[in-house]
Amino acid sequence: MGIGWVVIATILAAAGGVFGALAVRSDQPGRAAFFWMVLAFGAQLMALGWRGEIRGRCPLGDVGEVCLFLAWSLTLFYLVTGTTYRLSLLGVFTAPLVMILQLVALVPGAFEVGVERAKSVDPWWEAHAALSVLSYGALALAAVAGVMFFILNYRLKSKKLGGGMMHGMPSISRLVEAMARIALVGWVVLTIGIVAGLLIEGGSFGIHLMVATITWVLYAVLLGIYFVRGMPGRQLAIGLTSLFVLSLLVFAKL
Amino acid sequence: MKLVCLGLNHETAPVEVRERFALTETALERETEMLLAAQDVEEGVVLSTCNRTEYYAVVNGGSGVAELENWICEQRDFGGARDGVFYHHVARGAAEHLCRVASGMNSMVLGETEIFGQVKKAYKRSLESGATKGVLNKLFQRAFGVGKKVRTHTAIQEGATSVAGASVELAEKVFGKLKGSSVMVIGAGEMSRKTARALQSRGASSVMVTNRSFDKAVDLAEEIGGRAVPFQGWEEELAHLDVVIAATGAPHFVVKPAHIEAVRRKRKYRPLIMVDIAVPRDIDPAVGEIEEVYLYDIDTLQEMADQARKRREQQLLLCEEIIREEIDKVKLPAVND
Repeated sequence: MGIGWVVIATILAAAGGVFGALAVRSDQPGRAAFFWMVLAFGAQLMALGWRGEIRGRCPLGDVGEVCLFLAWSLTLFYLVTGTTYRLSLLGVFTAPLVMILQLVALVPGAFEVGVERAKSVDPWWEAHAALSVLSYGALALAAVAGVMFFILNYRLKSKKLGGGMMHGMPSISRLVEAMARIALVGWVVLTIGIVAGLLIEGGSFGIHLMVATITWVLYAVLLGIYFVRGMPGRQLAIGLTSLFVLSLLVFAKL
Repeated sequence: MKLVCLGLNHETAPVEVRERFALTETALERETEMLLAAQDVEEGVVLSTCNRTEYYAVVNGGSGVAELENWICEQRDFGGARDGVFYHHVARGAAEHLCRVASGMNSMVLGETEIFGQVKKAYKRSLESGATKGVLNKLFQRAFGVGKKVRTHTAIQEGATSVAGASVELAEKVFGKLKGSSVMVIGAGEMSRKTARALQSRGASSVMVTNRSFDKAVDLAEEIGGRAVPFQGWEEELAHLDVVIAATGAPHFVVKPAHIEAVRRKRKYRPLIMVDIAVPRDIDPAVGEIEEVYLYDIDTLQEMADQARKRREQQLLLCEEIIREEIDKVKLPAVND
């Protein structure tokens, strides 16, 4: 099946977004997106299995695999968080991002062809790569929750209180709590990923690891301020979304 | 045999007439007994709430609406003008009316739920006193089923239709569940009491009341199980609050941005919802510009309540359809003939 799993996962994520949005429009958000995202998650696992089998290691060797892994990670954190925080509407916001990541993976050339199967595997490199991308899934989800906060905050502040979107939105407090906790989980996973990177045999503290460390420090400062001193929800949302976009752009450039 | 419903409510009779026909718990029992003792009445249920008094009766032979109306007026010693005061429904019309009443479609606040329990209580009383038999037993059971169906299958009870209810809805949009939240009411009037009560009913645990006249604050605090705070020191409590309701008669702003700015850090920038139901306003609109403050005035709340009412009204056609379908299933000569 191969790349077909990526196509299926993309269609399922699109369905999650579309049916979720339709449910919002009809004033009954419910868990429409959740169901489709569970199916998308299954297809992503199959696609990652396909690439992992080809490489004989963690499938993070090209743009397609990184995007696919990131989409999987994002979906995983959504499925866990969506249930924990009952953020049913988070799926409507997450699904388009998952779909875009998978569409990038589907661009011809994103998945390398004729890949040579790895003869040996450095567990520290594998852990570093996998955990770093996994942490980005959580940080991406925190940013998505931040976007939801912007929308809800704007509507509450400007007294636009009607419509399906408002009906399905969680409360401001729950969104702030979710943003902070998801970002904290992402930061902890990123910490382990960076430590694993430092332990790679014969590795050096290159530009890649340096950017990751700067990102780590910035998230630490932001979360430190929030948990110790406190911070208005809007500022936390601005911090989480801009940090995520910024770090993603820097990594894409590298 | 035919089913008859005769009554008066907030739409047909002014309060001075309604209170004349209103019946206390004990009086209801006697009234039902007397109704059954009246000529040709086979079964009967009397419903009396603050907004309506209704008699449901299964009558035999020639007895009908006019006789029932005369009998009721005699009982209440009512000699005033009757034009338009009473309404009546017969057979299927009476059955449908009962369903509307049980569903809250006929209530002053469209879709309210209290009436369902009141109808149930009235029926239970008649059932226990042996005043209901085959027709009314079947009909009331059906009406309860319809009432439940209407509420679950339509949006007749969605949204807050009062200012106090809208305040609660907004607070829940910011905090989710209000369990454990702290509320301060500035002003000790009727609106303060209603809003504080509404917040308490949704889980707000700590309610503080402050007022220029401390005695009034103490009275209201005692009534709602809260704590009175002297007006001179209300700002100190801001650091611990989640919701502030302002409803004083002050001609100037009572709450200013400086009050909030002074405690922001101490509050760790937690969200704060402020509801200003006073005219002239008690809270400076500039307070709403503070990031974590969500400020709403009486116009916003009134608009929310109006929109909820409109949404409920839009559900009426759907509700009527459900009632028609359900009454179609009732196979009783007293209802269908």
